Amino acid sequence: MTGFNFINPFGVSDEPGTYLGDFYTDNFEKKATAGNVILNLGPQHPSTHGVLRVLVELYGEYVLRAEPVLGYLHRMQEKMGEVKTPYQYLPNMGRVDYLNPIAWNWAFAGAVETLAGIEVPERAEYLRVIAAELNRVSSHLLWWGAFVMDLGGVTPILYAFEEREKLNDITQIVTGSRLTLNYFRFGGVGQDGDARFFKLIEEFIPYMRERLKMYTGLVTDNVIFRRRLEGVGPMDESLCLRYGATGPILRAAGVNYDTRLAIPYGVYDRLECPVPTGQPNDCFGRYMIRLLEIEASLTILERALASIPEGPTLVAKAPKPTYKLPAGEVYFAVEGARGQVGCHIVSDGGKTPYRVKLRAPGFSNLSLFAEAAQGTILADAIAILGSLDLVIPEVDR
Amino acid sequence: MSDATRALSEGVKDLGALAVYRPDFGKQGLRLSAFLPGEALSRAAQFLREKGFTLLDVSTAEFQEGFLVTYHFDSFAEPCRLALRVLLEDKAKPTVPSVYPIFQGAEWHERESYDFFGVIFEGNPNLVPLLLPHDLPGPPPLRKKPDALASFAALGLFGEAEWISPGWPYAPAAAAPDAGEGAPQ
Repeated sequence: MTGFNFINPFGVSDEPGTYLGDFYTDNFEKKATAGNVILNLGPQHPSTHGVLRVLVELYGEYVLRAEPVLGYLHRMQEKMGEVKTPYQYLPNMGRVDYLNPIAWNWAFAGAVETLAGIEVPERAEYLRVIAAELNRVSSHLLWWGAFVMDLGGVTPILYAFEEREKLNDITQIVTGSRLTLNYFRFGGVGQDGDARFFKLIEEFIPYMRERLKMYTGLVTDNVIFRRRLEGVGPMDESLCLRYGATGPILRAAGVNYDTRLAIPYGVYDRLECPVPTGQPNDCFGRYMIRLLEIEASLTILERALASIPEGPTLVAKAPKPTYKLPAGEVYFAVEGARGQVGCHIVSDGGKTPYRVKLRAPGFSNLSLFAEAAQGTILADAIAILGSLDLVIPEVDR
Repeated sequence: MSDATRALSEGVKDLGALAVYRPDFGKQGLRLSAFLPGEALSRAAQFLREKGFTLLDVSTAEFQEGFLVTYHFDSFAEPCRLALRVLLEDKAKPTVPSVYPIFQGAEWHERESYDFFGVIFEGNPNLVPLLLPHDLPGPPPLRKKPDALASFAALGLFGEAEWISPGWPYAPAAAAPDAGEGAPQ
């Protein structure tokens, strides 16, 4: 041993082909132009929200090429679906996307119910809508705080967490947990809401409306914030179609598509959901769409609370834990906070499903990043990444 | 079946489909599904692209008959979820053309299937592991053991067939008598 070399600790040489890159860096460098800087963003960089890694080729401050590298939070959820019975697998759905577990609960429970022909009682359908909308608000709030933090504003996330705390208190009453919510059962929901549950929601709606006004004054109308987002990262309809982007990104691009209305499930068709659309298709438009969606969710909550009927919350012949799916295939999709959440189940009639495929909206939404970031400056690429509302556990599954 | 779906069904048939199914939307969540030969896939994707469809996902599964690659499409203008399936009978080297040139979003979906099943998508610009480590030992993790393989034709998984190309051997059990007449063997 000659001692530790502080100048060149890993013995890296400048010779081509001997970089300190791993497999993905080497693969990325093959197409790089000589003299450009290859930069690794993540997987621990705060702006990459957890464990996303993005390789970028920079010419000065301009992004020539970008390639997200996934898999740092991959848990093989689809394999788990094949080795567990549907009943055992249901709690996994709270873990696929920890910010929007109710949408995933609904996608899987809905797929099983559709395939098996299980009826859901009326009251349970309304409770599902209430839980899903509360969860959507909560997910958008965290996105709002984190997005503003990406752009350099640290305070707003603390306000967002104050609201989330109230929402967690509400959802905890019926689901029993604060993060990986597992509220749905095949043929209904886990438990009925008590008087306190409904009272807290009724109090939350006007409170949140007031807070949204404060958000406008605090962040939305801030001139630095607007300059940072307006005109940055336009994503038009064609881009969304080619990459399969859904959710707020698609609606900001001016397409009036929301799974809740386009392919109605539950009782959404009776609630006349307002769907905000037609904003400018840049980062600011995507920001506004999500704030407007919080407002829309509050309206849906009000309507659901006004019309929720009495009755059971679980169908009388609800499946037991050993329940076997009949042979067949089914595709069921719901509108999550980030876009269309889909679940494709193929069953051969055995104890466990034959194949479970989970369609994560974040996966398709992130795949357009490479094209959207091309030619922007690095700081704008971070704004674009933030405006996609990524939750990496969902992308990686 | 609505007129729009019927037109799509005819269109897919003209593109060289092997079988066209008419699923029950209330039970399967699909309006239309069709088996295509691999070489017709790009034409079919182009046909759907021109009609304003988008690629939702690529869902592969292994059966006794081979690897079944299912492409789910939907239209934002007129929701009509449909599935195009390509059966890859060569299990040693399952290969299918990539739809990347038409739907760029397919790149990642195809890489995911490559990770999990080892299906090779010819024409994918960056067919390297996406979710799994590049040096993962062993066979692709979602392949099944031979005794665990099911037969989709015997189970009739995809519902009632509307039309089957003569000679296509994987007719669902219920429609077998019909197809038997047209089949050469």
